[in-house]
Amino acid sequence: MTRQPLIASLLHEEHVQTISALQRLEEFLMGQGGKRPPELKRPENREVVGGITAGIAAEVQRHFGFEETYLFPLLAEQGQMGMVGMLAGEHQVILPLASGLARRAEAAINAGAFTETDWAAFHGDGLDLCEREIFHIQKEEMGLLGAIAAFVDNESDERLSALYSQMVAATAE
Amino acid sequence: MDITRDARDRLLPASIPYRFFGLAVICHVGAWGLLACYGDGLPGFIGGPGPILAALHMITLGVGASTACGAAIQLLPVASRVSLRGVGATVGIFLLLVPGLLILFHGMGAAQDLAMEIGAALVIAALGLFAWKIMDLMYRVKDMPVPPDYVWISSFALIGLLSLAGLLVADGKFGFLPRRQDIAAAHGLLAVYGFMGMLAMGFSGILLPMFTLGHPPNAVWNRRAAGLALAGLLLSVAGLLADQRTVFLIGWVLGMVAVMVHLALMRQMMKTAMRKRLGPSFLLVRLSWVMLPLSLALGLAAATGFALDRSAPLFGFILVFGWMLSFLLGVLQRILPFLASMHSGLSGGRPLMPSAFTHEKAAMTHARCHFTALFLVSCGFFFEQGGLVRLGALAGLLGALALLWFALHVWWQSHKALRAAKLVNIS
Repeated sequence: MTRQPLIASLLHEEHVQTISALQRLEEFLMGQGGKRPPELKRPENREVVGGITAGIAAEVQRHFGFEETYLFPLLAEQGQMGMVGMLAGEHQVILPLASGLARRAEAAINAGAFTETDWAAFHGDGLDLCEREIFHIQKEEMGLLGAIAAFVDNESDERLSALYSQMVAATAE
Repeated sequence: MDITRDARDRLLPASIPYRFFGLAVICHVGAWGLLACYGDGLPGFIGGPGPILAALHMITLGVGASTACGAAIQLLPVASRVSLRGVGATVGIFLLLVPGLLILFHGMGAAQDLAMEIGAALVIAALGLFAWKIMDLMYRVKDMPVPPDYVWISSFALIGLLSLAGLLVADGKFGFLPRRQDIAAAHGLLAVYGFMGMLAMGFSGILLPMFTLGHPPNAVWNRRAAGLALAGLLLSVAGLLADQRTVFLIGWVLGMVAVMVHLALMRQMMKTAMRKRLGPSFLLVRLSWVMLPLSLALGLAAATGFALDRSAPLFGFILVFGWMLSFLLGVLQRILPFLASMHSGLSGGRPLMPSAFTHEKAAMTHARCHFTALFLVSCGFFFEQGGLVRLGALAGLLGALALLWFALHVWWQSHKALRAAKLVNIS
């Protein structure tokens, strides 16, 4: 049976947090619909539109950054180029989507409201982000975490876990 | 372990798994269609050639074995990180399977011995080749996220059931078996609980946590469940073949304990599932979890002779249509769009998401019709009303057509995505 390295557990925990935020966003977007912009004066709406999208964008940026900088090169060295290429390709779609949503949410909150056109676009892209990122996490949970268990040795696991914890601590400050 | 290949390389060309899934979807329509025409004979059915036997094998072989082939050759290499050797052999499996099934179904339906013999020979060759490919892959697996035990047991069960199938067909011609009914029952147990059941339990530990984003089953208990299931299966089959009821009953108890452990593991996984909106496919999977122990309970009733006229055919129906079919179709509804999405990213451009390939109305229509069909056909058995069985089968046929529509939608969207990617690449 496959052992579970610490870095795989850390990435899994972040997946859990990201999915929880994505599901809150998804439920809000589906409940609100794409035609009627939400009332941004209400703090709970601001929290979902602004806080959650910003949180997701930050998490995604850190998570993807760590994978691309430290983890993927190590797995590519072990011959896992195809999986690494596929996941990195998805990062290139998801990251701009998440960052763009966070920027548009911030702009709308600063302006006090979404226009109907802006909301329709935000709504569509928000649902797209939720599905893409959840699908991406499904693939990472099935493929990437298993590959880590198979190809990352104990020494690399310790080094990667320390690096990842430093990145999390740095973004939390 | 062959580390020069990777997950993308292990994603076979879409046409390979999809041809098996397409065959499964078509056989599903055929089975319910046959029952809609000839379902009057289902209450009280205890075997023998005719349209009922053909319909039964359209589900077990046409839907079950085809889905197992498509899923195993695609998903096992991904889950085990070991590539399938000789992918061309999968074409051979399909080319043997399709004519084999057609001839076998015709032979069974029309009670033609020669057609049954030729069809059975081709199907046995196809599934024997499949078993060999899977065993060759599993032999090279060093580690897997779930215990590989289930896949090994399933492969050996497949070899066992094919051997008994060959015996049964030969017996049809030469009449040498002393207790044909018991051999046929052992063949059925090995097919549904053994080959399909073990594969389903094994894949449940890989696919369902991925779809639900729940915790995979506890590895230790999963191995224990596999061990109990193996012991239960061996003793039940040995009890039937040796005409030892006590041995059979001990096997039944072990099998029931294995099922309970498996269901407890599935319950735990669902409790930790991060994905809550799981759609109609999981209605079918949940239904299968209810049907699995129910099938065992009915099997015990039939084996002990309790209300035999009703319990024996109802056992077969609940086992094959209630448990196996519900589980397979639920999983198929998730795999088809999932794989289509994976492939849409390979041809260049922005990959389409599974929702782009999912026809929600067709999926929901299929699920509703499937539930209705199971209920009506079961009532037909209980009240011994052939008309109710045929009405239920009509609902099943409608559901099967909805699933066909769902599959065609996946194919059409994939075709459009591929064409769009080609245009982008050209420009």
